[in-house]
Amino acid sequence: MLPLLLLLLPTAHGIGKVSNKPALTQEKLEGVTTASTFVLDQPRCVFNNYSTAVIWLVVALDKDAYAFNNSAGPGTNETAFQRFPDPVHAYMTLNVTLNSYPCPKPAGDITVLRVGSETSCAQDETRPTCNGPLPGPGPYRVKFLALEGSVPVAETDWSAPITLRTAKSPNSIPTTSSGHSAGMIAITTILSILFAILLAGLVAMLVFWGSDSCGSSTFGKQESVSVRRYNTHHVYDQPAARL
Amino acid sequence: MAKSDDCVHILQGLLIFGNVVIGLCGIALTAECIYVVSNSDGPYPLLKATENRDIHAAAWIGIFVGLALFALSILGIIGVVRASRTLLLVYIILMLITFAFEMASCITAATHQDSLTPDLFLKQMLERYQKSDPNKNSDNEVTKTWDELMRQNHCCGVNGPSDWQDYMSAFRLTHSDADYPWPRMCCVLDAQGSPVNLDGCKLGVSGYYNSNGCYDAISGPVNAHTWGVAWFGFAILCWTFCVLLGTMFYWSGIEY
Repeated sequence: MLPLLLLLLPTAHGIGKVSNKPALTQEKLEGVTTASTFVLDQPRCVFNNYSTAVIWLVVALDKDAYAFNNSAGPGTNETAFQRFPDPVHAYMTLNVTLNSYPCPKPAGDITVLRVGSETSCAQDETRPTCNGPLPGPGPYRVKFLALEGSVPVAETDWSAPITLRTAKSPNSIPTTSSGHSAGMIAITTILSILFAILLAGLVAMLVFWGSDSCGSSTFGKQESVSVRRYNTHHVYDQPAARL
Repeated sequence: MAKSDDCVHILQGLLIFGNVVIGLCGIALTAECIYVVSNSDGPYPLLKATENRDIHAAAWIGIFVGLALFALSILGIIGVVRASRTLLLVYIILMLITFAFEMASCITAATHQDSLTPDLFLKQMLERYQKSDPNKNSDNEVTKTWDELMRQNHCCGVNGPSDWQDYMSAFRLTHSDADYPWPRMCCVLDAQGSPVNLDGCKLGVSGYYNSNGCYDAISGPVNAHTWGVAWFGFAILCWTFCVLLGTMFYWSGIEY
């Protein structure tokens, strides 16, 4: 059993560049990307120098990523999740303090962040920092931003573009039979041939009814053979003798 | 003449033996087809929902063919022992009719087996599972069957949980992707029927969800039934072919 740690932490500090690029988790999870969520590795041992900061996750569409202004405040109309992707081009969520990302990471633990897991606040305008499900397949870019108060103190690089899964329509599943298996063809051919031979045999039997089949000796009903009695002279003489 | 007598006796003996085997196989075929017809557990509702009842038709034909084979084998034994041309002619003609019916049953069963592809079940599952239409009872059957299947066999979907991600489905229309990347039945459940670790299941952590598909659990029993009807019938027909050829040869040599 592997204990799971899903952490939400807030703190942040000035614009120091932290050498970390957020990425999809390397853990073997089935749900690394789904149609509206994706899973990142937690930024462990990354913001060590900013122990009093609140660390936010910034999510933006790929094309709008580099236009993001670090001084945009979280929880405002400009960064509200509910107004993403239009008119808001990037939203901020998953705020936690550094205590939630303890360093070093315990071995064997799965330390991930699931972006898009909160469905209860997805439509709630009073919760602009909601970690709601993503509205489309993307591609998206994310970065971590550390804020102290409202002053950005550190940030990571933007991640590589993350594309989510798209679902095909079930009508695209082919339902016409993909041909017949060898077994079925074998059964059909062999049985048809056998049946044809039997029919031919039956026809031959009826056509040659009455005539001897070639070469075989007739085998009759030996059990009902009757022996003809031949009258001998002896029998005819007897009545004459009586007279 | 003694040699010809021996040949005749050997041929009679062989034909009687062949007919005895046919009679026994006829009874076995009847028993097996009754089992297939009456065995409606497991994935049977899924088959019913595909509206493909061919295996049923093949099994019903098999029941009657089995009984006919048994009766005809007795007729054949009598006809061989009494060396009666009429009896044997009736025997041969009725056997040919039975042969034709059994042939139809075998081919139907084999074709039906071919049609049960994973795609067929996948499409049915995506369109019908958890479809909340109160009018169609058969959809509820499909949902209940799938839930039972996934719970008992610890499997998910037809090919795996990714079926629910790769395709749109009736399930997806009523259950959001973030909360239900795949149905709750795909999670490892505790004794009360709730997921052991819901977050682990949603993330897809191995040990908290079922990662393999259910197609093997569906196709296993169905294939066993179909193979039984199709290939056992085929074996009987091959044996019957030999016996009939021998009978025809015997008939043509009987003195009239």
